[in-house]
Amino acid sequence: MSELLQFVLSGVTVGAIYAAVALGFTLIYNASGVVNFAQGEFVVIGGMTAAALIALGVPVIIAAPLAVIAGTLVGIALYRLAIKPAGKAPLVSLVIITIGASIFLRGVMQVVFDKQIHRYEGFSGDDALRFLGATLLPQSLWIIGGSFVVFAALAWFIGHTHAGRGIRATASNRFAAVLVGINTGRAMNLSFALSAGIGALAGVLATPVTFTSYDAGVLMALKGFSATMLGGVGSPAGALVGGFAIGLIEAMTAGYISSDYKDAAAFIVILLVLFVMPQGLFGRRTTERV
Amino acid sequence: MPDPLLEISGLVTSYGPIEVLHGIDLFVNEGEIVTLVGANGAGKTTLMRCISGVQPTKAGTIRYAGAPLARVPDHARAGLGIAHSPEGRQIFGDLSVEENLALGGYHRTDDLSPDMEDVFTLFPILKTKRHLAAGGLSGGQQQMLAIGRAIMGRPKLLLLDEPSMGLAPVLVDQILEVISTLRKRGVTLLVVEQNAYAALSIADRGYVMETGKIALSGSAGNLIADPRVREAYLGA
Repeated sequence: MSELLQFVLSGVTVGAIYAAVALGFTLIYNASGVVNFAQGEFVVIGGMTAAALIALGVPVIIAAPLAVIAGTLVGIALYRLAIKPAGKAPLVSLVIITIGASIFLRGVMQVVFDKQIHRYEGFSGDDALRFLGATLLPQSLWIIGGSFVVFAALAWFIGHTHAGRGIRATASNRFAAVLVGINTGRAMNLSFALSAGIGALAGVLATPVTFTSYDAGVLMALKGFSATMLGGVGSPAGALVGGFAIGLIEAMTAGYISSDYKDAAAFIVILLVLFVMPQGLFGRRTTERV
Repeated sequence: MPDPLLEISGLVTSYGPIEVLHGIDLFVNEGEIVTLVGANGAGKTTLMRCISGVQPTKAGTIRYAGAPLARVPDHARAGLGIAHSPEGRQIFGDLSVEENLALGGYHRTDDLSPDMEDVFTLFPILKTKRHLAAGGLSGGQQQMLAIGRAIMGRPKLLLLDEPSMGLAPVLVDQILEVISTLRKRGVTLLVVEQNAYAALSIADRGYVMETGKIALSGSAGNLIADPRVREAYLGA
């Protein structure tokens, strides 16, 4: 019993990170139709920047927001320098641009930071909490709490602000959004910024538990992508549920089968989703009349 | 005679290498209903898209309220008072009817609720469906929603592209009635219609387009009586 609880706790912890990555995918996908394969790099930029600043002696309360800002700026740069200039290029080209950007960012991180694996102390220390016979790092609570706060804040922003409604309309019908006076370029820019900021925040929160290195983003993006697929592409609620589900599936695979197969679990989920329910759990069913 | 609200001269545009409008001259005076009729592919929709800015112009000028529009980006034109109810309705399918209408007033900062009530008076069916996803409405209801959304922007110039497309005759009458109501309120309208007789019956003036050019123009009464128009578009 305490064994199961242990697996659940670690599954929920990584699941919260995948949920944040999936939320980033969803935001950019909805605004632009692009699946952004550089999403994992945003997470790593957050973690690596925070690690570097903390190693320099910067207190975590300053290093963490700076790392989120760094990630956000990279997201804006990705949109302005790579996606926007491509103009009306086909979606496939834009997706390939994001793959290129992800390789480029990994290269830059090797130079700016290094090739080592990094971590720093958890925000509330590294002493594990005991909970019904299982142990839990206090940082896990930061990660889980952080992902819920991000989700709630984003839901509020999209639903209740002028700029958020612009993003929602752009996601729904970009042509009509222009006609009613929405600057869809700005809405997309904002989507990339938010998405990157959320990714970087996930990295900042996760690094004390998961560690990070310049190339950790690849696996992170793929896990986040399978969470997105499972939840249903385009659905924010799906991203949250899919993230936690992938985290739990992964933890159970590692615990009850073998940790060798841990990373395979997410890919098996992608295949199953494609075979059995391509629209995912919360995906849009096309009911629109024409 | 004051300047026209909309004045287009020598307008040329193309899709890729293919030129589709070859020098269009057209004007719409304030308070007028002007209709554009013509066969499929004549360039009517393209001309509307040039006015709202979503189709770039290659040559020629579009002047609105006395100033050229060339440097006004597409998304800023709604704020100038140009509303476009596009061909194919282009509603926000996954948003509710009410959210669709609210987005029609996106560029406004004042209270939208009186305007929403007004749209519900013009199209009562939308009120009963206000909380439903717009994508689930019937074609005619979606058409009303697209027109309602354009009205929410409090336009000075309303561009209606095929407002009667695919509608039952009783709904066509309802939409023609709304067009007359809007004109009484001082809205200037440019209406594209395949249903040339319906369009000319409510318009002040009309233009007949053929393969990217203006073939004929004149008062609606003259056009309805013109044998060329009768033969080609009115089936008489």
